[in-house]
Amino acid sequence: MLEQAVIYTFVALVLIGGFMAAFSRQILYAIIGLGISLLGLAGLFLNLGSPFVAAMQVLIYIGGITVAIVFAMMLSIAMSIRPPDPDTRKLGFAIACAVIFFGAVAHLIRGAQFQEIASPASEKAWSVGALGHALLTHYNVVFETLSLVLLLAIIGAILIARKAST
Amino acid sequence: MKTDVIQLFENPYLALGVTIAVIMAYLSVNAIMLIWLERKLSARIQRRIGPQRGPFGLMQQIFDMGKLLSKELLTPEHANKLLYVIAPILVFAPVVALSSLFPITSTYIFHDFNIAIVLILAISGINVIGIFLAGWGSNNKYALLGAVRSVAQNISYEIPLILSVIPIVMITRTMSLYDITLAQGTYPFVLVQPIALIIFIISATAETNRAPFDIPEAESELVAGFHTEYSGMRFGLFFFAEYSNMIFACALATVLFLGGWRGPFLPDAVWFFIKVYALIVLMMWFRWTFPRLRFDQLMKFAWVVLVPLSLINLLITTLVLKIV
Repeated sequence: MLEQAVIYTFVALVLIGGFMAAFSRQILYAIIGLGISLLGLAGLFLNLGSPFVAAMQVLIYIGGITVAIVFAMMLSIAMSIRPPDPDTRKLGFAIACAVIFFGAVAHLIRGAQFQEIASPASEKAWSVGALGHALLTHYNVVFETLSLVLLLAIIGAILIARKAST
Repeated sequence: MKTDVIQLFENPYLALGVTIAVIMAYLSVNAIMLIWLERKLSARIQRRIGPQRGPFGLMQQIFDMGKLLSKELLTPEHANKLLYVIAPILVFAPVVALSSLFPITSTYIFHDFNIAIVLILAISGINVIGIFLAGWGSNNKYALLGAVRSVAQNISYEIPLILSVIPIVMITRTMSLYDITLAQGTYPFVLVQPIALIIFIISATAETNRAPFDIPEAESELVAGFHTEYSGMRFGLFFFAEYSNMIFACALATVLFLGGWRGPFLPDAVWFFIKVYALIVLMMWFRWTFPRLRFDQLMKFAWVVLVPLSLINLLITTLVLKIV
């Protein structure tokens, strides 16, 4: 009973934060909403029995990404200007994209054959050591690809920023 | 061998309540005493006497507390009410949550958490958001400037701070603060990681916004920085947060580098607090000795000196660990 309540609280946090991030007209509220949503997600990870992933979620997404967005926003004029009124054509396009994506994901989830696996016998299976070992052996290629994608994103961001300034 | 509060009370909710009560009580008394210590110490350094009400001037703090508690809570007219009220809580809450992770004695601890260091680094980052919301929500240009500076400073100094902690984790192969203390049985890690300790202390001083890194609240430039518009106990909460952050950083340095509770003759907790308060006196000494850095000097120092130095230290540690 209490556990259910806790899970639904976190789900509510994720949804409310998401709505705030998507629909607020003031960019600071959007960022706060994003932070709330990510915090709820961390809570869900905690509930699933992985405090390490939850802590990393907070460290990277709230302490890192959200603060970085706040930082970027402070250095730009985004905070002081009024956002333009919504363009109905863009809005329609966005809604269509969102509905298609949601439908596809929902279809996949409904069609998936979920198997109930036994919860890991010991805490060892979810431990930091096991995660690190898996990342650097079995999922090595995925891990390196992800870091390469991030590197590309950083270089791309620098290029765009330089072009805009000159 | 070790007993945590949950085992002691056999009821998680009771244990949680007791932990929060003990930590809140300790942090409040500690903040009051540290303000007294800071005023006395600064007076000594500047050849003054300092507060004198009551024995050793201790009553002065009681009166100041009474003043803060009884002051009216003003909210600026054009401030964002919600953010303005939430911000001080958001700055103070992370310290309270994280204080329970420290092993103060070898037998009784609050809770031994196997990923304590990740948790500390993760949650201590949240107070940056609190400071920013305080500056933004106040709708005051000095407050906003202070907040902008604070966020920039906190982001920059968090990197060398994390990089100076990693060598300890690599040596001990654990992230539990209890096990790290146990690993320092023969010698404290300051002997093998002196550079990491220096980087840690400098970064921690910057993270707690204290002089010579007190640019976010530089009183001669920005009135009081991000808490310019705060009054009464809301201002008091920022003050509490600053001194609680100080003791938090010093406690972390004690556990990581100075061997935590370990020491001869005296009981565990006594050794722990001797080390913590020695570091705090050191930080206060900094404040009353060094002039404030300029903003560009501050950023340059973090990115040009501290980050490369901590990376080199990390590299050397890796090589040594590989060879030995």
